[in-house]
Amino acid sequence: MNPVICFDHVTKSFTHTRAVDDVSLKIFAGQSVTLLGPNGAGKSTSIALMLGLQKPTSGRVTLFGANPVRSISHERLGVVLQNVSIPDRLRVTECINLARGFYPHPLPLSTLLHLSGLEADAHLWANSLSGGKMRRLQFALAMAGDPHLLFLDEPTVGMDVAAKHHFWDTLHTLVTAGKTILLTTHDLNEADLISSRVIVMNHGRIVADAAPEVIKTQFASRQIHFSCATTDLLDALQNWPETVSVESRGQHYTISTRDSDQTLRRLLGRPWPIHDVLVTGGGLEEAFMRLTKEETK
Amino acid sequence: MNSIISQWKADLLRTVRDRRFLLISLIMPVTFYLIFIHDGKAAIAGTDWGAYFMVSMASFGVVGAAVNTLGVRLSAERQGGWVRWLRTTPLSAVGYALVKVATQLLISLIIVLVVFLAAHVDQAVTLSTGRWAVLLAWLWIGSVPFAALGVLIGLAKTSAQVLGTLAFVGLSLLGGLLTPVQSLSPTMRTLAYWMPTYRYADPAWNLLAGRSLGLSNMAYLVGYTVIFLAAAAFVQQHLDSHPNAN
Repeated sequence: MNPVICFDHVTKSFTHTRAVDDVSLKIFAGQSVTLLGPNGAGKSTSIALMLGLQKPTSGRVTLFGANPVRSISHERLGVVLQNVSIPDRLRVTECINLARGFYPHPLPLSTLLHLSGLEADAHLWANSLSGGKMRRLQFALAMAGDPHLLFLDEPTVGMDVAAKHHFWDTLHTLVTAGKTILLTTHDLNEADLISSRVIVMNHGRIVADAAPEVIKTQFASRQIHFSCATTDLLDALQNWPETVSVESRGQHYTISTRDSDQTLRRLLGRPWPIHDVLVTGGGLEEAFMRLTKEETK
Repeated sequence: MNSIISQWKADLLRTVRDRRFLLISLIMPVTFYLIFIHDGKAAIAGTDWGAYFMVSMASFGVVGAAVNTLGVRLSAERQGGWVRWLRTTPLSAVGYALVKVATQLLISLIIVLVVFLAAHVDQAVTLSTGRWAVLLAWLWIGSVPFAALGVLIGLAKTSAQVLGTLAFVGLSLLGGLLTPVQSLSPTMRTLAYWMPTYRYADPAWNLLAGRSLGLSNMAYLVGYTVIFLAAAAFVQQHLDSHPNAN
Protein backbone atom coordinates (compact mmCIF):
# COMPACT_ATOMS: atom_id res chain seq x y z
CA MET A 1 0.00 0.00 0.00
CA ASN A 2 1.29 3.46 -0.86
CA PRO A 3 1.59 5.91 2.01
CA VAL A 4 -0.53 9.09 1.98
CA ILE A 5 2.37 11.06 3.43
CA CYS A 6 6.00 9.96 3.17
CA PHE A 7 9.14 11.61 4.60
CA ASP A 8 12.37 10.08 3.34
CA HIS A 9 15.35 11.35 5.38
CA VAL A 10 14.00 14.87 5.40
CA THR A 11 16.01 17.77 6.81
CA LYS A 12 14.94 21.40 6.85
CA SER A 13 17.48 24.00 7.93
CA PHE A 14 17.02 27.71 8.46
CA THR A 15 19.81 30.23 8.88
CA HIS A 16 20.41 29.49 12.54
CA THR A 17 18.50 26.31 13.26
CA ARG A 18 17.86 22.83 11.97
CA ALA A 19 14.10 22.62 12.43
CA VAL A 20 13.66 19.09 11.06
CA ASP A 21 16.60 16.73 11.39
CA ASP A 22 16.73 13.60 9.18
CA VAL A 23 13.12 12.54 9.72
CA SER A 24 11.62 9.51 7.97
CA LEU A 25 8.00 8.54 8.42
CA LYS A 26 5.04 7.09 6.56
CA ILE A 27 1.37 7.74 7.18
CA PHE A 28 -1.08 5.33 5.55
CA ALA A 29 -4.68 5.69 4.41
CA GLY A 30 -7.22 5.28 7.21
CA GLN A 31 -4.80 6.13 10.00
CA SER A 32 -5.65 8.75 12.57
CA VAL A 33 -2.39 10.29 13.69
CA THR A 34 -1.54 12.95 16.25
CA LEU A 35 1.69 14.90 16.00
CA LEU A 36 2.86 16.02 19.44
CA GLY A 37 5.80 18.08 20.59
CA PRO A 38 6.72 21.14 22.61
CA ASN A 39 7.03 24.51 20.86
CA GLY A 40 10.07 24.54 18.60
CA ALA A 41 10.14 20.75 18.30
CA GLY A 42 9.83 20.86 14.51
CA LYS A 43 6.09 20.16 14.35
CA SER A 44 5.12 23.31 12.46
CA THR A 45 7.97 22.94 9.99
CA SER A 46 7.08 19.27 9.38
CA ILE A 47 3.51 20.34 8.69
CA ALA A 48 4.66 23.12 6.35
CA LEU A 49 6.71 20.50 4.47
CA MET A 50 3.80 18.05 4.22
CA LEU A 51 1.49 20.74 2.86
CA GLY A 52 4.05 22.06 0.39
CA LEU A 53 4.34 25.44 2.12
CA GLN A 54 8.09 24.87 2.52
CA LYS A 55 10.63 22.83 0.56
CA PRO A 56 13.00 20.45 2.35
CA THR A 57 16.71 21.31 2.48
CA SER A 58 17.44 17.65 1.78
CA GLY A 59 15.45 14.43 1.53
CA ARG A 60 12.11 13.87 -0.14
CA VAL A 61 8.54 14.60 0.93
CA THR A 62 5.57 13.12 -0.92
CA LEU A 63 1.84 13.70 -0.52
CA PHE A 64 -0.36 11.09 -2.26
CA GLY A 65 2.86 10.02 -4.01
CA ALA A 66 3.43 13.48 -5.53
CA ASN A 67 5.43 16.57 -4.65
CA PRO A 68 3.27 18.54 -2.14
CA VAL A 69 4.46 21.84 -3.60
CA ARG A 70 2.39 21.06 -6.72
CA SER A 71 -1.15 22.27 -6.12
CA ILE A 72 -2.61 19.31 -8.04
CA SER A 73 -1.64 17.07 -5.09
CA HIS A 74 -3.99 19.13 -2.87
CA GLU A 75 -7.18 17.92 -4.55
CA ARG A 76 -7.72 15.20 -1.93
CA LEU A 77 -6.46 17.28 0.98
CA GLY A 78 -8.46 19.33 3.48
CA VAL A 79 -6.70 21.66 5.87
CA VAL A 80 -7.52 23.59 9.04
CA LEU A 81 -4.66 25.93 9.95
CA GLN A 82 -4.25 28.16 12.99
CA ASN A 83 -4.43 31.95 12.82
CA VAL A 84 -6.22 32.17 9.52
CA SER A 85 -8.63 35.06 9.21
CA ILE A 86 -11.41 34.61 6.70
CA PRO A 87 -11.60 37.38 4.07
CA ASP A 88 -14.05 40.17 4.82
CA ARG A 89 -17.21 41.02 2.85
CA LEU A 90 -18.14 37.37 2.21
CA ARG A 91 -21.07 35.54 3.77
CA VAL A 92 -20.66 32.08 5.33
CA THR A 93 -22.29 30.37 2.34
CA GLU A 94 -20.24 32.38 -0.16
CA CYS A 95 -17.08 31.46 1.68
CA ILE A 96 -17.93 27.75 1.65
CA ASN A 97 -18.89 27.93 -2.03
CA LEU A 98 -15.56 29.63 -2.77
CA ALA A 99 -13.75 26.65 -1.23
CA ARG A 100 -16.08 24.16 -2.98
CA GLY A 101 -15.08 25.74 -6.29
CA PHE A 102 -11.44 24.75 -5.73
CA TYR A 103 -12.09 20.98 -5.77
CA PRO A 104 -13.15 18.57 -8.53
CA HIS A 105 -15.70 16.69 -6.36
CA PRO A 106 -17.00 19.04 -3.66
CA LEU A 107 -19.50 18.02 -0.97
CA PRO A 108 -22.92 19.73 -1.22
CA LEU A 109 -23.27 23.07 0.58
CA SER A 110 -26.03 21.71 2.83
CA THR A 111 -23.83 18.79 3.95
CA LEU A 112 -21.02 21.17 4.85
CA LEU A 113 -23.32 23.50 6.79
CA HIS A 114 -24.66 20.49 8.68
CA LEU A 115 -21.19 19.02 9.37
CA SER A 116 -20.01 22.30 10.85
CA GLY A 117 -23.31 23.09 12.59
CA LEU A 118 -23.51 26.48 10.89
CA GLU A 119 -27.01 26.15 9.33
CA ALA A 120 -28.36 29.02 11.43
CA ASP A 121 -25.39 31.25 10.60
CA ALA A 122 -25.33 30.60 6.86
CA HIS A 123 -26.16 34.17 5.88
CA LEU A 124 -23.96 36.00 8.38
CA TRP A 125 -20.76 37.78 7.36
CA ALA A 126 -18.07 35.12 7.71
CA ASN A 127 -15.49 37.29 9.43
CA SER A 128 -17.96 38.40 12.10
CA LEU A 129 -18.33 34.87 13.54
CA SER A 130 -17.24 34.15 17.11
CA GLY A 131 -14.01 32.22 17.76
CA GLY A 132 -15.66 28.82 18.10
CA LYS A 133 -17.88 29.27 15.05
CA MET A 134 -14.89 30.54 13.07
CA ARG A 135 -13.11 27.24 13.81
CA ARG A 136 -16.21 25.38 12.60
CA LEU A 137 -16.30 27.42 9.40
CA GLN A 138 -12.65 26.55 8.83
CA PHE A 139 -13.56 22.91 9.32
CA ALA A 140 -16.31 23.30 6.70
CA LEU A 141 -13.75 24.85 4.30
CA ALA A 142 -11.36 21.94 4.94
CA MET A 143 -14.14 19.42 4.22
CA ALA A 144 -15.32 21.26 1.09
CA GLY A 145 -13.48 19.00 -1.35
CA ASP A 146 -14.52 15.73 0.37
CA PRO A 147 -10.86 15.10 1.29
CA HIS A 148 -9.16 11.72 1.80
CA LEU A 149 -6.63 13.34 4.09
CA LEU A 150 -7.79 15.82 6.67
CA PHE A 151 -5.13 17.90 8.34
CA LEU A 152 -6.10 19.73 11.53
CA ASP A 153 -3.81 22.14 13.37
CA GLU A 154 -5.19 22.67 16.90
CA PRO A 155 -8.77 22.27 15.65
CA THR A 156 -10.67 22.70 18.93
CA VAL A 157 -8.93 25.81 20.28
CA GLY A 158 -11.65 28.32 21.21
CA MET A 159 -14.48 25.74 21.25
CA ASP A 160 -16.59 25.18 24.35
CA VAL A 161 -16.90 21.70 25.86
CA ALA A 162 -20.12 20.80 24.04
CA ALA A 163 -18.74 21.93 20.69
CA LYS A 164 -15.55 19.94 21.30
CA HIS A 165 -17.50 16.76 21.97
CA HIS A 166 -19.63 17.29 18.88
CA PHE A 167 -16.46 17.85 16.88
CA TRP A 168 -14.80 14.69 18.21
CA ASP A 169 -17.92 12.69 17.30
CA THR A 170 -17.70 14.08 13.76
CA LEU A 171 -14.03 13.07 13.54
CA HIS A 172 -14.88 9.56 14.75
CA THR A 173 -17.44 9.25 11.97
CA LEU A 174 -14.81 10.33 9.45
CA VAL A 175 -12.24 7.84 10.77
CA THR A 176 -14.85 5.09 10.57
CA ALA A 177 -15.52 6.13 6.98
CA GLY A 178 -11.85 5.45 6.20
CA LYS A 179 -10.49 9.00 6.09
CA THR A 180 -6.90 9.69 7.06
CA ILE A 181 -6.61 12.29 9.79
CA LEU A 182 -3.50 14.13 10.92
CA LEU A 183 -3.86 16.27 13.98
CA THR A 184 -1.70 18.52 16.09
CA THR A 185 -2.98 19.47 19.51
CA HIS A 186 -1.97 20.64 22.95
CA ASP A 187 -4.94 18.77 24.39
CA LEU A 188 -3.54 15.31 25.12
CA ASN A 189 -6.98 14.05 25.99
CA GLU A 190 -7.98 14.92 22.43
CA ALA A 191 -5.00 13.01 21.01
CA ASP A 192 -5.88 10.00 23.16
CA LEU A 193 -9.55 10.05 22.09
CA ILE A 194 -9.11 10.46 18.37
CA SER A 195 -5.81 8.92 17.33
CA SER A 196 -4.67 5.39 16.79
CA ARG A 197 -1.10 6.57 16.43
CA VAL A 198 0.91 9.26 18.19
CA ILE A 199 4.15 10.72 16.86
CA VAL A 200 6.15 12.71 19.41
CA MET A 201 8.75 15.15 18.10
CA ASN A 202 11.49 16.96 19.97
CA HIS A 203 14.51 18.90 18.68
CA GLY A 204 13.57 18.20 15.09
CA ARG A 205 13.46 14.44 15.53
CA ILE A 206 10.86 11.76 16.17
CA VAL A 207 11.31 10.50 19.74
CA ALA A 208 8.31 8.17 19.83
CA ASP A 209 5.93 6.77 17.23
CA ALA A 210 3.33 4.25 18.43
CA ALA A 211 -0.27 3.69 19.49
CA PRO A 212 -1.25 5.91 22.45
CA GLU A 213 -1.64 2.82 24.70
CA VAL A 214 1.88 1.66 23.86
CA ILE A 215 3.34 5.08 24.54
CA LYS A 216 1.49 5.29 27.81
CA THR A 217 2.66 1.89 29.04
CA GLN A 218 6.21 2.55 27.90
CA PHE A 219 6.65 6.04 29.16
CA ALA A 220 4.04 6.66 31.84
CA SER A 221 3.70 4.83 35.14
CA ARG A 222 0.38 4.16 36.85
CA GLN A 223 -0.45 4.88 40.44
CA ILE A 224 -2.23 2.46 42.77
CA HIS A 225 -3.74 4.09 45.85
CA PHE A 226 -5.07 2.11 48.84
CA SER A 227 -5.42 2.18 52.58
CA CYS A 228 -4.06 -0.31 55.08
CA ALA A 229 -4.28 0.26 58.84
CA THR A 230 -2.26 -2.60 60.31
CA THR A 231 1.35 -3.01 59.30
CA ASP A 232 4.02 -0.87 57.68
CA LEU A 233 4.20 -2.12 54.06
CA LEU A 234 6.75 0.38 52.75
CA ASP A 235 9.77 -1.94 52.56
CA ALA A 236 7.84 -4.85 51.06
CA LEU A 237 6.34 -2.69 48.31
CA GLN A 238 9.63 -1.07 47.42
CA ASN A 239 11.21 -4.45 46.78
CA TRP A 240 8.84 -5.43 43.97
CA PRO A 241 10.66 -5.15 40.64
CA GLU A 242 7.94 -3.21 38.76
CA THR A 243 7.66 -0.57 41.50
CA VAL A 244 8.90 2.91 40.55
CA SER A 245 8.30 4.56 43.93
CA VAL A 246 6.14 4.30 47.05
CA GLU A 247 4.74 7.04 49.23
CA SER A 248 2.83 6.66 52.47
CA ARG A 249 0.92 9.19 54.47
CA GLY A 250 -0.44 7.59 57.63
CA GLN A 251 -2.42 4.57 56.49
CA HIS A 252 -2.70 5.80 52.85
CA TYR A 253 -0.28 4.39 50.29
CA THR A 254 0.50 5.38 46.71
CA ILE A 255 2.60 3.07 44.53
CA SER A 256 3.91 4.22 41.17
CA THR A 257 4.31 1.17 38.98
CA ARG A 258 5.39 0.23 35.49
CA ASP A 259 2.93 -2.71 35.50
CA SER A 260 -0.25 -1.99 37.42
CA ASP A 261 -1.75 -5.44 36.68
CA GLN A 262 1.17 -7.28 38.21
CA THR A 263 1.28 -5.01 41.27
CA LEU A 264 -2.44 -5.47 41.84
CA ARG A 265 -2.13 -9.25 41.64
CA ARG A 266 0.63 -9.20 44.26
CA LEU A 267 -1.27 -6.80 46.50
CA LEU A 268 -4.46 -8.87 46.52
CA GLY A 269 -2.48 -12.11 46.92
CA ARG A 270 -1.03 -10.98 50.25
CA PRO A 271 -2.97 -11.41 53.50
CA TRP A 272 -2.93 -7.64 54.14
CA PRO A 273 -6.24 -5.99 55.05
CA ILE A 274 -6.12 -3.41 52.29
CA HIS A 275 -9.18 -1.45 51.16
CA ASP A 276 -10.27 1.50 49.00
CA VAL A 277 -8.08 0.49 46.01
CA LEU A 278 -7.88 3.04 43.19
CA VAL A 279 -5.79 2.88 39.99
CA THR A 280 -5.01 6.19 38.29
CA GLY A 281 -2.66 7.95 35.91
CA GLY A 282 -0.70 6.47 33.10
CA GLY A 283 -1.94 9.36 31.01
CA LEU A 284 -0.50 10.48 27.72
CA GLU A 285 0.40 13.73 29.41
CA GLU A 286 2.84 12.05 31.78
CA ALA A 287 4.34 10.04 28.91
CA PHE A 288 4.68 13.21 26.88
CA MET A 289 6.35 15.10 29.71
CA ARG A 290 8.78 12.29 30.29
CA LEU A 291 9.59 11.83 26.61
CA THR A 292 10.30 15.47 25.92
CA LYS A 293 12.15 15.98 29.22
CA GLU A 294 14.47 13.02 28.67
CA GLU A 295 15.42 14.42 25.31
CA THR A 296 16.18 17.85 26.71
CA LYS A 297 18.76 16.52 29.15
CA MET B 1 -9.65 26.49 -14.19
CA ASN B 2 -12.74 26.05 -12.01
CA SER B 3 -10.77 27.10 -8.97
CA ILE B 4 -9.74 30.30 -10.74
CA ILE B 5 -13.35 31.11 -11.65
CA SER B 6 -14.47 30.43 -8.09
CA GLN B 7 -11.80 32.74 -6.68
CA TRP B 8 -12.61 35.42 -9.25
CA LYS B 9 -16.31 35.36 -8.41
CA ALA B 10 -15.54 35.86 -4.71
CA ASP B 11 -13.06 38.63 -5.49
CA LEU B 12 -15.58 40.53 -7.60
CA LEU B 13 -18.25 40.21 -4.89
CA ARG B 14 -15.85 41.57 -2.29
CA THR B 15 -14.81 44.43 -4.56
CA VAL B 16 -18.38 45.52 -5.26
CA ARG B 17 -19.10 45.50 -1.51
CA ASP B 18 -16.01 47.52 -0.61
CA ARG B 19 -17.04 51.09 0.25
CA ARG B 20 -13.46 52.27 0.69
CA PHE B 21 -12.75 51.10 -2.83
CA LEU B 22 -15.85 52.82 -4.26
CA LEU B 23 -14.91 56.05 -2.50
CA ILE B 24 -11.25 56.18 -3.51
CA SER B 25 -11.42 54.67 -6.95
CA LEU B 26 -14.73 55.86 -8.38
CA ILE B 27 -16.23 58.75 -6.46
CA MET B 28 -13.01 60.66 -5.83
CA PRO B 29 -11.79 61.04 -9.46
CA VAL B 30 -15.28 61.86 -10.71
CA THR B 31 -15.89 64.40 -7.94
CA PHE B 32 -12.48 66.01 -8.45
CA TYR B 33 -13.24 66.25 -12.15
CA LEU B 34 -16.57 67.96 -11.57
CA ILE B 35 -15.21 70.31 -8.86
CA PHE B 36 -11.91 71.43 -10.34
CA ILE B 37 -12.95 71.94 -13.91
CA HIS B 38 -14.18 75.47 -14.57
CA ASP B 39 -13.40 76.26 -18.18
CA GLY B 40 -13.44 73.00 -20.12
CA LYS B 41 -12.76 74.76 -23.40
CA ALA B 42 -9.45 76.35 -22.31
CA ALA B 43 -6.57 75.20 -24.49
CA ILE B 44 -3.76 73.09 -22.95
CA ALA B 45 -1.00 71.01 -24.53
CA GLY B 46 -2.67 70.88 -27.92
CA THR B 47 -6.09 69.85 -26.65
CA ASP B 48 -8.75 71.35 -24.39
CA TRP B 49 -8.81 71.30 -20.60
CA GLY B 50 -12.01 69.20 -20.38
CA ALA B 51 -10.40 66.28 -22.24
CA TYR B 52 -6.95 66.80 -20.69
CA PHE B 53 -8.26 66.70 -17.13
CA MET B 54 -10.45 63.70 -17.99
CA VAL B 55 -7.24 61.75 -18.72
CA SER B 56 -5.66 63.10 -15.51
CA MET B 57 -8.57 61.93 -13.37
CA ALA B 58 -8.94 58.55 -15.09
CA SER B 59 -5.21 57.95 -14.42
CA PHE B 60 -5.63 59.20 -10.86
CA GLY B 61 -8.44 56.69 -10.24
CA VAL B 62 -6.60 53.77 -11.83
CA VAL B 63 -3.38 54.48 -9.90
CA GLY B 64 -5.37 54.75 -6.65
CA ALA B 65 -7.09 51.42 -7.20
CA ALA B 66 -3.86 49.63 -8.09
CA VAL B 67 -1.42 51.13 -5.60
CA ASN B 68 -3.71 51.75 -2.68
CA THR B 69 -6.64 49.34 -2.80
CA LEU B 70 -4.85 46.36 -4.35
CA GLY B 71 -1.82 46.78 -2.06
CA VAL B 72 -3.91 47.00 1.11
CA ARG B 73 -6.04 44.05 0.05
CA LEU B 74 -3.09 41.78 -0.80
CA SER B 75 -1.37 42.71 2.44
CA ALA B 76 -4.49 41.93 4.48
CA GLU B 77 -4.88 38.51 2.83
CA ARG B 78 -1.23 37.66 3.48
CA GLN B 79 -1.17 38.99 7.01
CA GLY B 80 -4.36 37.18 7.94
CA GLY B 81 -2.90 33.81 6.91
CA TRP B 82 -5.55 33.41 4.21
CA VAL B 83 -2.92 33.18 1.44
CA ARG B 84 -1.17 30.46 3.44
CA TRP B 85 -4.41 28.49 3.60
CA LEU B 86 -5.07 29.03 -0.11
CA ARG B 87 -1.68 27.50 -0.83
CA THR B 88 -2.94 24.23 0.71
CA THR B 89 -5.87 24.12 -1.74
CA PRO B 90 -5.70 23.13 -5.43
CA LEU B 91 -5.70 26.85 -6.35
CA SER B 92 -2.14 27.45 -7.59
CA ALA B 93 -0.05 30.53 -6.82
CA VAL B 94 -0.21 31.40 -10.52
CA GLY B 95 -4.00 31.04 -10.43
CA TYR B 96 -4.22 33.37 -7.43
CA ALA B 97 -2.02 35.95 -9.19
CA LEU B 98 -4.08 35.68 -12.39
CA VAL B 99 -7.29 36.33 -10.47
CA LYS B 100 -5.81 39.40 -8.80
CA VAL B 101 -4.62 40.75 -12.16
CA ALA B 102 -7.95 40.01 -13.86
CA THR B 103 -9.89 41.72 -11.06
CA GLN B 104 -7.57 44.71 -11.19
CA LEU B 105 -7.90 45.03 -14.96
CA LEU B 106 -11.66 44.94 -14.74
CA ILE B 107 -11.62 47.60 -12.01
CA SER B 108 -9.33 49.82 -14.11
CA LEU B 109 -11.64 49.44 -17.07
CA ILE B 110 -14.69 50.48 -15.04
CA ILE B 111 -12.91 53.48 -13.50
CA VAL B 112 -11.77 54.79 -16.88
CA LEU B 113 -15.25 54.31 -18.37
CA VAL B 114 -16.94 56.12 -15.47
CA VAL B 115 -14.57 59.11 -15.70
CA PHE B 116 -15.04 59.21 -19.50
CA LEU B 117 -18.78 59.22 -19.01
CA ALA B 118 -18.62 62.05 -16.46
CA ALA B 119 -16.46 64.14 -18.80
CA HIS B 120 -18.72 63.46 -21.74
CA VAL B 121 -21.89 64.41 -19.83
CA ASP B 122 -20.54 67.35 -17.83
CA GLN B 123 -18.10 68.95 -20.28
CA ALA B 124 -19.43 67.53 -23.54
CA VAL B 125 -16.02 66.01 -24.31
CA THR B 126 -16.44 64.38 -27.70
CA LEU B 127 -13.97 62.22 -29.57
CA SER B 128 -14.26 59.88 -32.52
CA THR B 129 -15.18 56.29 -31.60
CA GLY B 130 -11.73 55.14 -32.70
CA ARG B 131 -9.98 57.67 -30.47
CA TRP B 132 -12.16 56.82 -27.46
CA ALA B 133 -11.23 53.17 -27.98
CA VAL B 134 -7.48 53.78 -28.28
CA LEU B 135 -7.53 56.08 -25.25
CA LEU B 136 -9.41 53.47 -23.23
CA ALA B 137 -7.08 50.70 -24.36
CA TRP B 138 -4.00 52.71 -23.42
CA LEU B 139 -5.24 53.72 -19.97
CA TRP B 140 -6.17 50.09 -19.41
CA ILE B 141 -2.94 48.39 -20.50
CA GLY B 142 -0.68 51.16 -19.25
CA SER B 143 -1.87 50.49 -15.68
CA VAL B 144 0.34 47.36 -15.45
CA PRO B 145 3.31 49.02 -13.64
CA PHE B 146 0.94 50.31 -10.95
CA ALA B 147 -0.49 46.84 -10.41
CA ALA B 148 3.13 45.69 -9.99
CA LEU B 149 3.69 48.47 -7.44
CA GLY B 150 0.49 47.36 -5.68
CA VAL B 151 1.88 43.82 -5.46
CA LEU B 152 5.11 45.20 -3.96
CA ILE B 153 3.22 47.29 -1.40
CA GLY B 154 1.06 44.24 -0.63
CA LEU B 155 4.16 42.48 0.70
CA ALA B 156 4.55 45.11 3.42
CA LYS B 157 3.35 43.91 6.78
CA THR B 158 1.33 46.35 8.85
CA SER B 159 2.44 49.46 6.96
CA ALA B 160 0.73 48.64 3.63
CA GLN B 161 -2.08 51.13 4.20
CA VAL B 162 0.28 54.02 4.96
CA LEU B 163 2.66 53.12 2.14
CA GLY B 164 -0.21 52.74 -0.32
CA THR B 165 -1.71 56.11 0.54
CA LEU B 166 1.68 57.83 0.42
CA ALA B 167 2.55 56.30 -2.94
CA PHE B 168 -0.89 57.13 -4.36
CA VAL B 169 -0.96 60.78 -3.26
CA GLY B 170 2.77 61.34 -3.85
CA LEU B 171 2.86 59.85 -7.34
CA SER B 172 -0.35 61.65 -8.35
CA LEU B 173 0.90 65.05 -7.14
CA LEU B 174 4.46 64.75 -8.45
CA GLY B 175 3.41 63.18 -11.74
CA GLY B 176 1.16 66.09 -12.66
CA LEU B 177 -2.20 64.31 -12.38
CA LEU B 178 -3.69 66.87 -9.99
CA THR B 179 -2.02 69.99 -11.43
CA PRO B 180 -0.78 69.92 -15.03
CA VAL B 181 3.01 69.79 -15.48
CA GLN B 182 2.79 72.95 -17.62
CA SER B 183 1.94 74.94 -14.46
CA LEU B 184 4.77 73.48 -12.36
CA SER B 185 8.13 75.13 -11.62
CA PRO B 186 11.04 73.90 -13.84
CA THR B 187 12.45 71.78 -10.98
CA MET B 188 9.12 70.14 -10.24
CA ARG B 189 8.56 69.63 -13.93
CA THR B 190 11.88 67.80 -14.29
CA LEU B 191 10.91 65.66 -11.31
CA ALA B 192 7.49 64.97 -12.88
CA TYR B 193 9.17 63.61 -16.01
CA TRP B 194 10.66 60.86 -13.84
CA MET B 195 7.34 59.79 -12.39
CA PRO B 196 5.58 56.62 -13.69
CA THR B 197 2.29 58.51 -13.31
CA TYR B 198 3.42 61.18 -15.78
CA ARG B 199 4.70 58.52 -18.15
CA TYR B 200 1.33 56.77 -17.93
CA ALA B 201 -0.84 59.86 -18.57
CA ASP B 202 1.41 61.55 -21.16
CA PRO B 203 0.68 59.07 -24.00
CA ALA B 204 -3.05 59.62 -23.42
CA TRP B 205 -2.59 63.41 -23.51
CA ASN B 206 -0.58 62.94 -26.70
CA LEU B 207 -3.42 60.92 -28.21
CA LEU B 208 -5.85 63.76 -27.48
CA ALA B 209 -3.56 66.27 -29.22
CA GLY B 210 -3.03 63.93 -32.18
CA ARG B 211 0.64 63.28 -31.31
CA SER B 212 2.29 59.86 -31.12
CA LEU B 213 2.30 57.97 -27.80
CA GLY B 214 6.03 58.56 -27.31
CA LEU B 215 8.54 55.71 -27.15
CA SER B 216 10.39 57.10 -24.14
CA ASN B 217 7.14 56.92 -22.14
CA MET B 218 6.91 53.20 -22.92
CA ALA B 219 10.54 52.68 -21.96
CA TYR B 220 9.98 54.35 -18.59
CA LEU B 221 6.87 52.27 -17.87
CA VAL B 222 8.57 48.99 -18.82
CA GLY B 223 11.55 49.98 -16.66
CA TYR B 224 9.33 50.75 -13.65
CA THR B 225 7.43 47.46 -14.09
CA VAL B 226 10.69 45.52 -14.08
CA ILE B 227 11.95 47.38 -10.99
CA PHE B 228 8.71 46.87 -9.02
CA LEU B 229 8.46 43.19 -9.92
CA ALA B 230 12.13 42.53 -9.18
CA ALA B 231 11.75 44.24 -5.80
CA ALA B 232 8.61 42.17 -5.09
CA ALA B 233 10.41 38.94 -6.02
CA PHE B 234 13.34 39.90 -3.79
CA VAL B 235 11.12 40.66 -0.79
CA GLN B 236 9.13 37.45 -1.35
CA GLN B 237 12.29 35.35 -1.39
CA HIS B 238 13.53 37.04 1.77
CA LEU B 239 10.21 36.26 3.50
CA ASP B 240 10.28 32.61 2.36
CA SER B 241 13.68 31.92 3.89
CA HIS B 242 12.35 32.53 7.40
CA PRO B 243 10.80 29.75 9.47
CA ASN B 244 7.59 31.62 10.26
CA ALA B 245 6.90 32.97 6.80
CA ASN B 246 4.25 31.47 4.62
